Amino acid sequence: MEKVSISTVKSIADLLVVATILFAVIAFAIMLWYLARRPPLTGVTKLVLLAGIFVFPLMSAMSGNVSGYDTTQKREFCGGCHVMIPWTADAEDPNSKSLASMHARNELFGDRNCYRCHEDYAMFGAVTTKATGMVHLLHYVKTYWSVPAEETFGRIHIYNPYPNHNCMHCHSTELDGFEELADHKGAIESIRSGKESCVSSGCHGPAHPFSKVTKEGAE
Amino acid sequence: MRTQEGRLRLACWLTIAALALFVWSVLDPGVVAVMLAMSLGQVLGTAATALFFWVVWTDLRRARVIDRERR
Ligand code: HEC
Ligand code: HEC
Repeated sequence: MEKVSISTVKSIADLLVVATILFAVIAFAIMLWYLARRPPLTGVTKLVLLAGIFVFPLMSAMSGNVSGYDTTQKREFCGGCHVMIPWTADAEDPNSKSLASMHARNELFGDRNCYRCHEDYAMFGAVTTKATGMVHLLHYVKTYWSVPAEETFGRIHIYNPYPNHNCMHCHSTELDGFEELADHKGAIESIRSGKESCVSSGCHGPAHPFSKVTKEGAE
Repeated sequence: MRTQEGRLRLACWLTIAALALFVWSVLDPGVVAVMLAMSLGQVLGTAATALFFWVVWTDLRRARVIDRERR
């Protein structure tokens, strides 16, 4: 069953690529026609241009944006800024025991584990996630462009304390197996309310232990 | 940019540039291509559309003015 859904997703992604290119080619042909032939500006010409400048480019942009949005969720994309490479390399290391890496192996979201843990799970989560992403980009260009990745350990922090709610998006805390664990049992209410962080050290944190090596307990 | 035709030709070139970014970003979805397509690409495409509708709008207004003067 899982194989089927994965291959469907793949073909939808491919479909978006094909659609983006197809609409672009149609619009491009109209642009070439107008530029080369220079037809008189009649109503018909304007209608054709409406399709070539507005309708088809808009359709190309829409499918292209969905495809692009999908790309931005991939770990590969996160590693596009060199300072993130230690984080992505750790996630890809099959021997790593970090919490982040343990979330990088499943078929469903393993290749986008960064995004799945770090996105805002709220109504406008996608928007706020992208907005902070833009802030990150500025920060990168201004401060970290030429800084070796390893020297960022202890300097790059998470903006806000990591919300338990993000973990609970996938780990409901409602199963018997969860509640039976002694460490969970005693603290179940403060875990659910977020009073006690899932990723405090001694529990499941830190999620990226290697980044805490140079400066002990950097927060 | 002086004539309506000139504006439309500019709109065509802007559209072509935007389309090139869209196609690049899906064929070779690297960080730079995707970010350019989703930012600069949108700006170029919107500018082209705005230019096109500006031409159509001013043409319509001009036509109406001529009509009014004739009457
Ligand atoms: C997007 C869904 C998702 C999110 C968010 C998520 N997890 Fe997981 N988690 C999983 C899945 C799926 C597995 C099983 C992975 C596998 O088997 O490869 C897992 C496994 C685990 C494990 C078991 C590791 C082991 O050694 O067996 C722990 C502990 C865990 N998660 C804690 C957390 C914590 C803490 C957070 C929040 C920081 C979190 N998870 C966020 C989906 C998620
Ligand atoms: C299991 C959920 C999870 C996954 C997957 C995950 N992170 Fe994190 N990340 C966290 C948590 C929790 C923190 C808060 C600090 C900590 O616990 O290490 C954090 C902190 C960070 C920080 C701040 C610096 C630091 O190390 O504390 C960066 C940068 C970061 N993550 C990048 C990434 C990247 C890049 C990926 C993908 C390779 C990723 N994260 C995957 C949960 C996750």
